[in-house]
Amino acid sequence: MRKRLAITLSLMMAASIVAGCQAKSEDKLVIAARGGSHVTAMEAVKAEFEQKHNVKVEIIGLESADLKQKISLDAKNKNGAYDLIMADDPWMPELSEAGIFANLTELGVEEDADFEESSLALGKHPYQTGDLYALPFSGNVQLFFYNKQLLDNYNAEVPQSWEEVLHIANKAHEEDNLIGYVIRGQQGNPIVSDFLPIFWAYGGQVFDEQWNAQIDSEAGQQALDTYIQLAAVGANYETTDIVSSVSEGRATMALGWPSWFIAGETASADYAPIPSKATANGAAASTGMIGNWMMGVTANSQNKELAANFLTFITSSDTQKKLVEHGGVPTRKSVYLDSELAAKYKHFPIMLEALQNSVARPRTAKWSRVEEALGVELSAAIAGTKSIEAALSDANKAVNEIMQ
Amino acid sequence: MNWLKASPKYVVLTAVVLCTLFPVYWMLVIATQRDIFSKVSILPSSLTLEHVIDIFTKDNYMLPLANSFTITVTSLLIVLVFGLSSAYVLGRRTFRIAYKNTLLVWILLVRVLPPITFALPLYIMMNDAGLLSTKLPIILAHVLVNLPLVIWFMMAFFYSVPEEIEESARMDGASEFVIYSKVILPLVLPGIAAVTILSFMASWNEYLYSVIFIQSPGDFTIPLKLATLNSEQELTEWGKVASGGLVSVIPVLLTAVFMQKHLMNGLTAGAVKE
Amino acid sequence: MHSKRRFQWTMLAPVILLLIGLTVFPVVYTISNSFTDYYYLASEAKQFVGLRNYIKAVQDEVFRKAVWNTLKFMLLAVTIETALGLAIAVLIESLKKGAKLLRVSLLIPALLPPVTVALIWQMMLSNHNGIINHMLAWFGAGPFNYLMDIRIAFNAILFIDIWQWTPFAFLLLYAGLQAVPRSQYEAAKVDGAGKLRIFTHITLPNIMPTLLLVILLRTIDTFRLFDKVNILTGGGPANSTTTITQYIYRHGVYNLQIGYGAAASIIMVGLVLLFSVIYIKRSLGGSQNEMRH
Repeated sequence: MRKRLAITLSLMMAASIVAGCQAKSEDKLVIAARGGSHVTAMEAVKAEFEQKHNVKVEIIGLESADLKQKISLDAKNKNGAYDLIMADDPWMPELSEAGIFANLTELGVEEDADFEESSLALGKHPYQTGDLYALPFSGNVQLFFYNKQLLDNYNAEVPQSWEEVLHIANKAHEEDNLIGYVIRGQQGNPIVSDFLPIFWAYGGQVFDEQWNAQIDSEAGQQALDTYIQLAAVGANYETTDIVSSVSEGRATMALGWPSWFIAGETASADYAPIPSKATANGAAASTGMIGNWMMGVTANSQNKELAANFLTFITSSDTQKKLVEHGGVPTRKSVYLDSELAAKYKHFPIMLEALQNSVARPRTAKWSRVEEALGVELSAAIAGTKSIEAALSDANKAVNEIMQ
Repeated sequence: MNWLKASPKYVVLTAVVLCTLFPVYWMLVIATQRDIFSKVSILPSSLTLEHVIDIFTKDNYMLPLANSFTITVTSLLIVLVFGLSSAYVLGRRTFRIAYKNTLLVWILLVRVLPPITFALPLYIMMNDAGLLSTKLPIILAHVLVNLPLVIWFMMAFFYSVPEEIEESARMDGASEFVIYSKVILPLVLPGIAAVTILSFMASWNEYLYSVIFIQSPGDFTIPLKLATLNSEQELTEWGKVASGGLVSVIPVLLTAVFMQKHLMNGLTAGAVKE
Repeated sequence: MHSKRRFQWTMLAPVILLLIGLTVFPVVYTISNSFTDYYYLASEAKQFVGLRNYIKAVQDEVFRKAVWNTLKFMLLAVTIETALGLAIAVLIESLKKGAKLLRVSLLIPALLPPVTVALIWQMMLSNHNGIINHMLAWFGAGPFNYLMDIRIAFNAILFIDIWQWTPFAFLLLYAGLQAVPRSQYEAAKVDGAGKLRIFTHITLPNIMPTLLLVILLRTIDTFRLFDKVNILTGGGPANSTTTITQYIYRHGVYNLQIGYGAAASIIMVGLVLLFSVIYIKRSLGGSQNEMRH
């Protein structure tokens, strides 16, 4: 009896181990995606496509770094494991240069002018001008969040410049001992995403036209100085604390991604595009950091036409309207301007405004390495282990070394 | 009087247990509360099973649970069958093996070297062999993780079984395999139980190889599924994270509770040897 | 005799085959890559660059910091976990009741997936919503910014590791204690030895093998520290929590600089060997004695 049980069990196990082999035979599309709400939203709408094309759509949700690693590893295979892949927009130059994406124009995907321009530009290689390799799936852009009650207390309007932000932050700190401003200073991607908008507002650029690092510049020094002053009258938090402190009025202002504060139709804090000027009288720069998730067809997909069909379907205006209900962020103007949706989702006009005034992180295949180096130095500067000058000059040196 | 004398010990130990278990308790609280952040308090205020039900209905947690189980158990079987047989030969004095020391160092090195050294080359190898769409690579990886532990741990057990037992069986005309499987193996069962639990723990929580080798969501393991819950542009759903963590620990915990006697016996027996 | 020989090789063959298949190629491949500029996504073939990767790694301030952090973490974590584990084991061993219950409950932290452990602590250490700062507030202390403060972050990670693995050390050591022959204690008592003397002369020598096993297992593990750092601090603030594995992961896996990552791995292997050489020697010494008997 026991023996038989053991045999049955081992047979079942053996069967389940090799089960993967046969799965490819039926018609199906495999999508490597960023796990979380993107996957939930796609799962919710994919049935329509599956029925129409008689195909199964399988979506793999992965943690961000894992996703990048998996699609890169699979790229060198002749027969790819994935038909469609999602990519964070700063990865686009690296992945496009490596030939991971199939040329969408050749697959008959049209360049739809309805996509917000700055989002569509991310999918082209070279940036903005080249052929189309990916379409914007999720149109995230950083926003400026503030507690309206507190701003009213200090008779402050929504700040338009970082000088004003610092002024309000100081006031909140001195008068009520509140957190003036919350920075997100974790080493790596967070601190870089949190700092760059301020750097841009001061007129800074990470690179000049010849790809020489420009971090160690007057703009860099002023921006980092402001950033450190903000941290001094504020706090350095991770996401959950940023959201709750601003929402509950313990902190006045912070930068953030929309979905942190805005869930469906309600928002827990007020929001505006990120201040675009250094001083009240200064020149305005684009400061809304774009953080779109792109989707493209892999060059080694065995089913490119069908995959391209799915891409058209999932980024279509109709589908985007449905995705919104499941936490999707649109990338099409027509969806943002849809009167019914705009009435329901109050943040749409501001999101669109922010998107139209957005900036992409530098378009280089080496961005993840640049970000790594920059994060190290910024973290050192706010921790006080390096002076502003030393941190910026070291960052400049490290970035130049990576770029050569 | 006796009780009074012992009481400071109990106070200290209670403190230790409280510190150890508090994070686990807190996980339970977060997993069963509707809104964790509106009011932070030691006692749960609004009990709900919503999150736990959610991860099963919406996130289909059964599948990764089943996968983790298949992968862990299969790799354990392979590790035990092969690991025990070689530990036997390496541990008993009757066998003389050429290059025994080289082999032993090699096995130990596999345990000592950082897994990140093996992961990428193995991916390339498995990929070329066309195995990546199956569960085989991840099972083999788990075998690689646990094999050295099983061999080194069990060698000591085999070594300690008195030679007379083996000799008398040989006198009775038993074949080598019968001596191994029917005579010696039953004597080292406590050790097998202990090393099985240790390997089970390592395999159940293994992440690095899983993330590199597993290709399809149908093959996802628990740690892989849990990792997707932590993200950059979205707020982490703490209720789900905590529920997922709780669910993931239940199978291992059950094993540990029910096999606790064997585990302790095995470890105790192992402690005198070496 | 002949059949015995055949038997022993049949028993060993699967493991030898597995090891050849799963380890020889990866090790050779990693070593050979470490001398090239292999970037996984590059369109050109990899080029031999000699020792350049090694020199770059050794010169990199961040890598040196990672090595230092890892060593510091390893030494502190292993020492504290072993010492605490031993203390708890001795304490519980002296109890008459409740040892069984304590054993199970103390085992739980070691059973949790590393990702879950990191996330749970992230919740608990959070500034506003974290229960720890709330509890400190009742005593009028805090709040502390555990993971972002350069003075605390490293210790916070260390504390979490100690929380998770001290019970494991305890469990092994407790088993070791139980195996100490009672007769030795009795004899010592008759001789009038004090508690401390009994501990250093009887308990310690008896549990030495277990103690070394605990130290070895924890050394191997703490040397690989990665998940907690990657999720909780990202290596910051100012590199105060960067570890070697995290460094290799960022360069070799995330940025796919395979050549450079391989060189850093080989350096790490060298360091690991340096530490385990003592243990290997001891273990081999043991098996050589076996042969001589």
